[in-house]
Amino acid sequence: MIKYHPSDALLQAHVAGELPLSMSIAVSAHCEMCQVCQDKVHKMNAAFAQETLEAEACTETDLCEFNFDSMLEDIMSKPTAPQEVTPDAMVEVNGEQYKLPKAFRHQLQDSWSGIGKVNRMRFDTAENKARASLLHIGAGGEIPAHTHKGQEITLLLSGDFCDEYNEYHPGDFIVMSSEHEHSPRTNSGCLCYTVVDAPLYFTKGITKLLNPIGELIY
Amino acid sequence: MEAKEQSMQAQEQKQLIMRVAQHRDRQAFGALFKLFSPKIRAFGVQRLGQQGLAMDLLQETMTTVWTKAHLFNADKGAVSTWVFTIMRNQCFDMLRKVQHNREDAFGDDIWPLFEDVESGDGMSDHKMSDKLLENMDKLPPLQRQIVQGVYLQELSQQELAERLGIPIGTVKSRLRLGLEKLRSYLEKHHD
Repeated sequence: MIKYHPSDALLQAHVAGELPLSMSIAVSAHCEMCQVCQDKVHKMNAAFAQETLEAEACTETDLCEFNFDSMLEDIMSKPTAPQEVTPDAMVEVNGEQYKLPKAFRHQLQDSWSGIGKVNRMRFDTAENKARASLLHIGAGGEIPAHTHKGQEITLLLSGDFCDEYNEYHPGDFIVMSSEHEHSPRTNSGCLCYTVVDAPLYFTKGITKLLNPIGELIY
Repeated sequence: MEAKEQSMQAQEQKQLIMRVAQHRDRQAFGALFKLFSPKIRAFGVQRLGQQGLAMDLLQETMTTVWTKAHLFNADKGAVSTWVFTIMRNQCFDMLRKVQHNREDAFGDDIWPLFEDVESGDGMSDHKMSDKLLENMDKLPPLQRQIVQGVYLQELSQQELAERLGIPIGTVKSRLRLGLEKLRSYLEKHHD
């Protein structure tokens, strides 16, 4: 049972197409896993479309300045497009295969890199700050206690994990702000998608020395 | 706007898109174009900040409407929702290009336009007719004309012969050839 969802404001921004790629992937993937948010987004989409495209009857003056006939001719000279069959988004890590939500289809280009039980696949989103990655933690694995300089979003795709605050299940959409310090660990292993605004800061004893690892892990 | 008026508008738009889907009806497409183009341009100017890019958005969006009208599924939502989805997805990809100089097309992965085609044998009637419509365009023009006349416009073979000024025997043989070809396309698709 999914307990953590994106806020309505975030869903609305997603529907409007206002989020960056890294966040759009997170929200889209959550919605594919979560019927509640899927229904919400479906309604928001219809309402926003109505608002955007059907506000009032079109005013002729808008069309006068440009000759649309040539554009229309050009468009209507095109043949019908076939229905595309899009492949599933499959990913393999540590000998296990996972089928991921559709939003990941074209993102799984890179290879995994790992330290101990933690494996990461960084996505090249071309966004300046945000780092988007798939993170796989093997059974019994743990990430040292850390805080975030910015906001961290975690979407649990498979398996389980818990931290000082809660236990999480597949589909849970977890938002951590810079005040939260947490050390996630997993019993059976997990695969998640994370978006981090800025590098992590480790806060506990020896792991303070490992601060650069934050950048490597996420 | 009254809800009743809205649903009438939606109904009209659905009729228009069906005419484009089934008959490549140019007049119906022109009506849809006139209906949506000012809004798409306004959205483009607001998001992309340039008239030129807004025109690109308009052209790309309406091209998809024209080339994929036969894939539109009225059970999944209104025409305006579908057109908006195409426009928003296209705009998302264009913004990525403007802001990050990336030529990628991820919009349709994030907000899927259509239900996925199921693999395997479980092809529903609806999907089957989609497939038929899509393959019909691959037929040679003379055969396509007859197959469309009989199955989409529901004309009799006699009516078609009269309209086209050809013997009924020619209608029959073109129909037979057309249907055989269609079947071979579909069988190939199943392999």
